[in-house]
Amino acid sequence: MSDAAFEGLIIRGGSALGLPLPSTGYARQAYGNVTPDFGPARWLSINADGAVTVYAGKVEYGQGIRWGLAMATAEELGLDPATVRVVLGDTAETPWDIGTFGSQSTRFTGVQVRRAAATAREALDLAVTMLDLPTQDLACESGRVSSKSDPGRSLNFAALLAGLYVVCDITDDVTLNPPGEFTVLGTTTNRLDALERVTGRAVYSQDVTRSGMVYARVLRPPTYAATLVRANDSIAKQMPGVAMVVVDDDLVAVLAETDQQADAAFNLLTAEWSERGDHPSHWELPALLAEGARDPVVTQEAGDIEAALARAAHRLEATYYVPYISVVPMEPRAAVAEWVGDSLTVWAGTQRPFGTRGELAQACGVDESQVRVIAPEIGGGFGGKSIYRPAIEAARLARLARRPVRVAYTRAEEMTYTTFRPAALITIRSGFDGDGRITAWDYHAIHTTTDRPMIGQRGSETPYASDHVRAVVSAGPAPLRPGSYRSLGCAVNHFGREVHIDEIASRLGIDPVELRLRNLADPRYRRVLEVAAEQFGWRTATAPSGQGVGVEIGLDVGSYAAECVAIDVQGKEIIVNRVSSAVDCGLIYNPEGVRAQMEGAISMGLGSALFEATEFEGGRLLNASFARYRVPRINQAPPSKSRSSAATRIHRPVQASRGLSLSLRQ
Amino acid sequence: MRGHLIYFAAMTNLHINGEPRQAPEANRNLLSYLRFDLGLTGTKYGCGEGLCGSCTVLVDGQALRSCLATVGSVGGGAITTIEGLAEGEVLHPVQQAFVAESAMQCGYCIPGFIMSAVALLGRVPNPDVGQVREALSEHMCRCGAYPRIERAVLRAGGASNE
Repeated sequence: MSDAAFEGLIIRGGSALGLPLPSTGYARQAYGNVTPDFGPARWLSINADGAVTVYAGKVEYGQGIRWGLAMATAEELGLDPATVRVVLGDTAETPWDIGTFGSQSTRFTGVQVRRAAATAREALDLAVTMLDLPTQDLACESGRVSSKSDPGRSLNFAALLAGLYVVCDITDDVTLNPPGEFTVLGTTTNRLDALERVTGRAVYSQDVTRSGMVYARVLRPPTYAATLVRANDSIAKQMPGVAMVVVDDDLVAVLAETDQQADAAFNLLTAEWSERGDHPSHWELPALLAEGARDPVVTQEAGDIEAALARAAHRLEATYYVPYISVVPMEPRAAVAEWVGDSLTVWAGTQRPFGTRGELAQACGVDESQVRVIAPEIGGGFGGKSIYRPAIEAARLARLARRPVRVAYTRAEEMTYTTFRPAALITIRSGFDGDGRITAWDYHAIHTTTDRPMIGQRGSETPYASDHVRAVVSAGPAPLRPGSYRSLGCAVNHFGREVHIDEIASRLGIDPVELRLRNLADPRYRRVLEVAAEQFGWRTATAPSGQGVGVEIGLDVGSYAAECVAIDVQGKEIIVNRVSSAVDCGLIYNPEGVRAQMEGAISMGLGSALFEATEFEGGRLLNASFARYRVPRINQAPPSKSRSSAATRIHRPVQASRGLSLSLRQ
Repeated sequence: MRGHLIYFAAMTNLHINGEPRQAPEANRNLLSYLRFDLGLTGTKYGCGEGLCGSCTVLVDGQALRSCLATVGSVGGGAITTIEGLAEGEVLHPVQQAFVAESAMQCGYCIPGFIMSAVALLGRVPNPDVGQVREALSEHMCRCGAYPRIERAVLRAGGASNE
C-alpha cells in the first residue's frame, strides 16, 4: 500500500508480544531463532470508504481468532463484527508476531487490537469540529459518529475521513470499554468465517497454486537418522512431465508438471542410504527414559520432602508412562514458494510466519526483508505446525527450478517427518494422613527432550497444598522429535498427578472430588471443580456395574478447567457417555469460541486417554496411516446435547477480579 | 460400485456441478483432477487412502471418496462438489445448518462432512442421532467439532433437535 495514495486513518503500535523475551523466556527457549521486531506497525486502518481492517500476525487454524479479533474491534468501534475485515499471518501486511501458540491470541493480541480500535474511536473525535459538538456528547456506533443528545446529527466514517490521511499511535492510556458495558464481547455470535468454510472457498496452503508451478515429491530417508549415500535419478528424470530431478546435498526431489506425474517419477527414484541400526523401539522407551534421565530442573520446592515422607501416616509410590502421540492435523503440511529475482514469497500453513521467514532467509542466504511468508487458512495445527519444513524445501527447490514449486506432504509424510507429543515417565511419591490430606509430594517427570528442555516443565507444579513439596523435571532420550501439542508437557504432567490423586482416594476410600477439595486452596481451582461436579451430578459408581466416573482438574496458561466423565466398560472397549466440563479462562471475549475450544479439547483428550499412541520400531513408524492410527470419530464422541437443553451456564468465579467462567456439558 | 481400473485413450465425459466436462485422461485421479485441473479446491486431500472422508464428493447423489477414484471410473456420472451445492448465493440447507451451529473449527474436513450429510439426507430425510453418527463415522475431524456437526445435520434433517 502506498501511503501517499491512502486516504483514511491508520493506527500503529508495537508488537503485542505476550511472552517474555529475550534470553530466559519460554518463547526464546522454544524458538531461539526469532528476531523480535517491536517497532511500530499498522494494527488497524479505516479506509476512505469507511471499511475497517484489523491486522495481526497470528494465524487462524481453527481456534476462531479471526472471529474473536473482529468482535474485539467491533466492541470498541461500535460495529457489527461481520463488517470488520481481519488480516492475519502475512509478514508483509501484519505486525511482527512470535507465533500462534500458548493461548496468547485473546489474552495479548486481543487486548492490543482493542487498544488499536479504541485509539481509532478517539481519533474519530475529529468529528468534534465537523459536527460542532463537545467530545462528551459523541458516540461511535454502526460506522457513524453521532451526537448522543441529537442522534440526527451524525457523520459516517467515510465522510469523517474524506480527503484526510491520519496516522495515530496507540497510546498507553487509551480507554477501553469496561466489561460491564460490553455490547459485542461476551455475546453469542455465529462464526464469522463460516461461509467460506461451508462453500469450499476458504483457501488452505494445500490449495495454493501459482502460474507455472511445478509439483514436487521429496525423497525421504527409509528410517530416522539415515543419511543419503547416492541417489539414482536416471529413470525418474526420463518420465513424462518431469521438469527436473533435484539432487542438492540432502534434498532430493522430483519436480513435474502435475502431481500425478511427480508421483509416478518419484516411485522410480532410487537411492542408497547409510542407516543407523540402533534406533530404539516404542516398547523400549519407558526403560530408556528411566535410564537416560539428565539435566534435572526443580520447578517447585518447599519444606523437607524426605523427612515428611518418613513420618507420613500413609505412603504411596507409583510410576506412570505416557507414550508419544501423533498430532494429526487434517491438513497435511504444504507450501508453495515463488522467487522473483532475489525476492521470495512462500505460502505456508505455519503457526510462526515470522519465525519461518527467518528460517527461510537463513536457509536461502538472503535477508529477511527479501522474504514474505503468507499463512493461508490452516487445516489444524495444535502447536505442531510451529515447525514447518516444507516451506524451506519448496524455497530451495523453487530457486533451483526457476519456477514456483509446491511441496505437499502425503499423510504418511505428515505423520512421520514432523513432531510428536512428548512421551514421559512420571514417578510420584506421596505421603498423606487418614483424612486424605497430602503431607508430602515428591514428583519426578522425565520427558523426551531434544533442544527444548521447557517442554516437560509446564504444569509440573502441584496445586494441592502441602508444606513439603518437590517437583523435578528431567530431560530424557527422544527417539522421535518431540514438539508442541495442545498445552505441551502440561497435559502429560497433569495426567500423572491426577491419576495419583485418584489412587490416594482409592487407597483411603474417600470420594475423589472430596479428596481434591480437601487439598485445594486456590479458589478458582475449587470453583471449576465444584461447578463441573455439580452439573455432572457427581456420584461414584460401584463395582461390578461396568460403569465408572472420573474427574480431573488442570491449569495452563491462565485457564482453570475441571472435567467429570461417565463411562461404560464393554469388554475391552470404554464408551464415554457424558463429559461435564467447567472452565475459568478469565475474561471471555467470545463465549461460543470458548465452548468450541472446550468441545474440541474433550475430543482430543479422549483420544489420548483411550487409545492414541505412536508406535515405532527400528527407526520406522509403524502407524503413520489412518489404517493403523486411531483418532476419535463422531460415534466415539459423547452424545451431544442440544443447545437449548444443555446445562450451559456462565459463572462469575469466586475471586477472579475480571472474569467469567463458563461451563458446558456434552 | 464402478470399476476403478478403466484405461482408454478417449476423452471421458463428465458432468461436474451441472457443467459438461471432458477429461483428457481416464486414469487421472479424480481428486487431483477436481483440485488442480478444474481448480475446485474445496474438495480436500486428507489421507489418500479413503479413510478420513475429506475428499468426499457426490456421484449421482451417492457419497464417493474421490482420492481413490479415477476420472474414468465415474465417466457419465453427475458429480457434485462442495462448490456446486449452493444455488447462486443461497446455501444448501446442510450448509446453512453448519453455519447456524458454527459447526467447524479449522474447517478442512467440513466439505467432506457436508457432502456425506447431503447424501445421508437424500437416503434418510429425517435421520435420528444414531443414523447421523453412523453415516459420519467414516469422517475425521481432529479439531473435535463433532457435537456441532451432529447438531447441524440433525437441524438440516428437520429433527426436533432434542
